[in-house]
Amino acid sequence: MFKTSLLALVAALGVTAAHAESATYAIDPSHTFATFEIGHFGTSTNRGRFNKTSGTVTLDKAAKTGALDVTVDTTSLDTGTAAFTKHISSEEILNVAANPTAKLVSTKFVFSGDKVVEIDGNLTLNGKTNPVVLKAQNFNCYQNPMVKREVCGGDFDATIVRSQYGVSYGLNYGFPDNVHLVIQVEAVKQ
Amino acid sequence: MAALVLCASAGCLPALAQSVAGPVTYQLDPNHTFVTFEVLHFGTSTLRGRIGPVNGEVTIDRAAKTGDLRLRIPVTTVSTGSRLLDARLKEPDLLATTDYPEAYFVATKFQFDDAGGVREVRGEFTFRGAGEPLSLVARSFACRQDAVLKRQVCGGDFEGAVKRSRFGATMGLPFVGDDVHLVVQVEAIAP
Repeated sequence: MFKTSLLALVAALGVTAAHAESATYAIDPSHTFATFEIGHFGTSTNRGRFNKTSGTVTLDKAAKTGALDVTVDTTSLDTGTAAFTKHISSEEILNVAANPTAKLVSTKFVFSGDKVVEIDGNLTLNGKTNPVVLKAQNFNCYQNPMVKREVCGGDFDATIVRSQYGVSYGLNYGFPDNVHLVIQVEAVKQ
Repeated sequence: MAALVLCASAGCLPALAQSVAGPVTYQLDPNHTFVTFEVLHFGTSTLRGRIGPVNGEVTIDRAAKTGDLRLRIPVTTVSTGSRLLDARLKEPDLLATTDYPEAYFVATKFQFDDAGGVREVRGEFTFRGAGEPLSLVARSFACRQDAVLKRQVCGGDFEGAVKRSRFGATMGLPFVGDDVHLVVQVEAIAP
């Protein structure tokens, strides 16, 4: 029953989607997470996730434009290992006491058809700002049956060079300078 | 703990070449052994959850090209970053952590590459009390002589896939995907 009605809803949405215009979407914090991946002595990959992200996205599907302004609470870091989380949060690495937020502000949305395939922007981390290019692995909009609104989102990734953000701890011990960012994002139409 | 993540680069060179005769049993390093599952949410974004630290051991006999891996996966530790979602995931129609607080992976079929690295492990994954075959393929694998632990450490990144419906974890289908991608970080310390 649930399935049938939702499919009908999705079909109806497909019919009405032609009226796209600029709309504002609020980041859904329960489906928006930034995870970093960094190599560990050439053996395995260490991961850490930031649990709190907020912000807004605007999308104009007809004009194929968009903008994004997202803030990550760096004090919400969670690696699964308390000591590792504490070390990365410390002054020596991310210094989250001095820089409790990281920020991503877009400069350009790139579309292919009606899908966002790339977001260019500026990333501020550890108090330093550099350009970053996020590539979409997935992008989609759907009518969410729980919130009864359109939700747009996807998976994005980018590789950053952490020393460009002044995060140079352990480079001389063989910890890599490249950090892979894996971002899940969903945002609810307002 | 700081000691665990420190390692002079010269001491961390790949140590695959040092072949040890006979089987060697490595204990998993709980600081570097986690399972992350990935599932597509409404065909839109990837929902991830981390489970671990994972306990277990792995025995490798490089000369005989055999191995034996035993993982105990504490599904009660599931962490998505959202407490609400964690609580929902633990319910009987998903992870069913009250009845089944642990999942298990027992693999006895190992494939090695020419350099002696582990390329693939195959075995049985038991989740919610149901067993299904599972293959984990190495995206990376290496051994090093850890300067701080003063022991050989082997590990890597492995990936595999299961269908959750095969284990009876059906809540949210088909809007939340049936295909679950498993991403496994593992490091194990030689005796």
